[in-house]
Amino acid sequence: MGENLLKIGYDAESIKVLEGLEAVRKRPAMYIGSTGATGLHHLVYEVVDNSIDEALAGHCRKIGITIHVDNSITVEDDGRGIPVKEHPVKRRPTVEVVLTELHAGGKFENKAYKVSGGLHGVGITVVNFLSEWLDVEIKRDSHIYHQRYEKGRPVVQLSVEGESSETGTKITFKPDPEVFENTVFNFDKIAQRLRELAFLNAGISIVFTDERSGKAIEFKYDGGIVSFIQYLNKTKTTIHQNVIYFTGERDGTEIEIAMQWDNGYSEKIFSFANNINTVEGGTHLTGFKSALTRCINSYAANTNLLKDLRESLQGDDIREGLTAVISVRIRNPQFEGQTKTKLGNSEVEGYVKSLVNEKLSMFLEENPSTAKKIIGKAVEGARAREAARKARELIRRKGALETSSLPGKLADCQETNPALSELFIVEGDSAGGSAKQGRDRRNQAILPIRGKILNVEKARFDKMLSNEEIRDIITALGCGIGKEDFNLDKLRYHRIIIMTDADIDGSHIRTLLLTFFYRQMMPLVEGGYLYIAQPPLYKAKKGKVERYIKDDAAMDDFILGSVCETLTIRSACGENGLKGQGLVKALNWVARFNCILRKMSRRRMEEGVMEAFSLERGFNADTLKDEKTLNGLLDGIKAHLSQRYPETTPVRFSIVPDKGKGTFMVRCYSRKNGVQIETVVDLAFARSPEFQELRRLGTELDRIGRPPFYLEAGGTTSEVDSFRALMDRVFEIGKRGFYIQRYKGLGEMNPDQLWETTMDPEKRTLLQVRIEDAIEADGVFTRLMGDEVEPRREFIEEHALEVANLDI
Amino acid sequence: MSCPLCKGKASWKNNPYRPFCSERCRLIDLGRWAEGSYVIQKTDKKGFGIGE
Repeated sequence: MGENLLKIGYDAESIKVLEGLEAVRKRPAMYIGSTGATGLHHLVYEVVDNSIDEALAGHCRKIGITIHVDNSITVEDDGRGIPVKEHPVKRRPTVEVVLTELHAGGKFENKAYKVSGGLHGVGITVVNFLSEWLDVEIKRDSHIYHQRYEKGRPVVQLSVEGESSETGTKITFKPDPEVFENTVFNFDKIAQRLRELAFLNAGISIVFTDERSGKAIEFKYDGGIVSFIQYLNKTKTTIHQNVIYFTGERDGTEIEIAMQWDNGYSEKIFSFANNINTVEGGTHLTGFKSALTRCINSYAANTNLLKDLRESLQGDDIREGLTAVISVRIRNPQFEGQTKTKLGNSEVEGYVKSLVNEKLSMFLEENPSTAKKIIGKAVEGARAREAARKARELIRRKGALETSSLPGKLADCQETNPALSELFIVEGDSAGGSAKQGRDRRNQAILPIRGKILNVEKARFDKMLSNEEIRDIITALGCGIGKEDFNLDKLRYHRIIIMTDADIDGSHIRTLLLTFFYRQMMPLVEGGYLYIAQPPLYKAKKGKVERYIKDDAAMDDFILGSVCETLTIRSACGENGLKGQGLVKALNWVARFNCILRKMSRRRMEEGVMEAFSLERGFNADTLKDEKTLNGLLDGIKAHLSQRYPETTPVRFSIVPDKGKGTFMVRCYSRKNGVQIETVVDLAFARSPEFQELRRLGTELDRIGRPPFYLEAGGTTSEVDSFRALMDRVFEIGKRGFYIQRYKGLGEMNPDQLWETTMDPEKRTLLQVRIEDAIEADGVFTRLMGDEVEPRREFIEEHALEVANLDI
Repeated sequence: MSCPLCKGKASWKNNPYRPFCSERCRLIDLGRWAEGSYVIQKTDKKGFGIGE
């Protein structure tokens, strides 16, 4: 065939060349994608790719790219230089053939280069055709050759311009403004591609200079794609330190893979074939993904890391937080897809699979702790996926039911204007029944829910809202859930009232509901649509008078208020005959005093000892500095105890130095139920807020005096000899004649009572849930949830005190 | 403000997923409600979980 071509001669040959040039200049987009910015920059990449090919073949270490002030570009390498000898067939210098004939490059015969990039295979010829001018300078065979082209045609013969012992190719070109809409190059855009090339070709140096701005930058990464991963992950928190890397060859195809997981959820996999970023993926990516999934699953199953997971890990679970680079070098790349960036060679899938299976399995076996972290993350991903699926199901099922069928348990109201309607979410079926009967059916709807009780272990009861309860609430409210579905205009009731028992279980259900609304229906909380009902805890009855009382504190107030109408108290040193409002006030101080003492006694301190010290005027923090004064006080304390608290005797004291503080402490040994108790009175005690409060109250208590007290009521007088006994006696007298009923739950109230006390808009009090309340509920919920035992215990201890404070 | 689920940062303003940081976290939370995995343990009078 070569022989025949020769005979056809130069003219026919040159006509063909001209036809090629015309075709490219007429439809440039067919060859470089577009005549916009993408096509313009593509010219640079085509030339650089030639140099990279030299590098891949092992002949080039350094590539320089320069943008000149006139937006012309120079690409220079230290490769072998394009051959200049006369082409055996074309009878022209090879370089001229390369620059003027489409598909003339060495890469099409697969001999000169084992593998090569060059996206469309049009390469440097097209760059020449679309340039206003192009200069090529070749250092080869000790000479420097030069030739210039304009709009694709040589304007001079290839000539020797000097001598050089080096080799290399230097091409300078200026894109033709007749072809391109805009011929200004973007530094960052080119830099990004060059950096990528430097990563993909470990060790190669790419120096990029922009003479327009003076910027220069060198890309050189000895770590190759491992450095690429580190670069991509530099702002991430990775879950394992070292990048996983492996490489191998399968039937002439070179495969290189690097990967690392971070603690995020997105998946970033970059795949390359012969340095081309295969944005649309292809067979190498498919092979990688399927082998990764198989490999991780089989390792996880063998090491029993999937435990309670119902199904195996899916690819998406495993790839959450994964950053990976896959680079293959292949002899005959086939690019497919819209933008020709999808690798089509089917054999590559198997090659990559086999390599990943072999090398990744080995890595996991050799690095069990890293493997465990990776699998742990994937398991978390699988759980998340499962939860998200259930959430979607919940929403979807709700969608299917939509308004047409409200929950069966809902007793709706007649009113259709949401602004006038109320929904009571009531805990328990019996309470729900009472509420349904007691309500004003015109505008009050009732949704009974049950806080499901799980008997998880022997004696532990857990509370939760079941799927059904959640669904019923969502359906009854009608406003939907989630970013897209939620619509406040569809809310069917503008008052949503949570009505639960006044006990611990009730408060847990309330916490669950508040947390749910806060997290999933925030606009209801923010809009002030949520309320909490205030059912009474007690009913007190005397004769025909009935009173509902909401909690213990209110109960105490009520008893105290009523008893003080008829009671008079006298003591030796207090005001004479205290009664009425004055007495209520004084008894409140006593109650508070007793309460603090009781609280302190829970910390294994003797109440009587603390009472004695707080009532002893001569004692304060300063007294602890002086052993003698302290000693002098002890007789009084001892007398107080034997008089008021004879059960604590015999009492023994010892005064010892409080190390490092320059003070003394008193160790008081008393008895309680036959057991010795040690109460320490030291600086910390004297300065504690509790003791300070006791001191303050001691002064207030002067009005009522000191024990013994004489109580006169209903014509009889009785005597008590301590503050503690005083309150007990007052309540005992106060409760006389009252019938007090404690409601253990809403269900114990009959419908009328529930209406009257809790639901009747004329009489009830509702607490509106503010955003802070909901946030707090969420906090309580998080800590009560049970999966973090330690913080939960701390929380309860901490709050037990707060609650106690509130009770005072 | 921290996301109730992942404990990461969550902003309040202009965040359609609040109090969560993302749709992902919101959806997972909803899924947990749906599958009934949010459980409050009953505690005894002293305030400690029974059985601890």
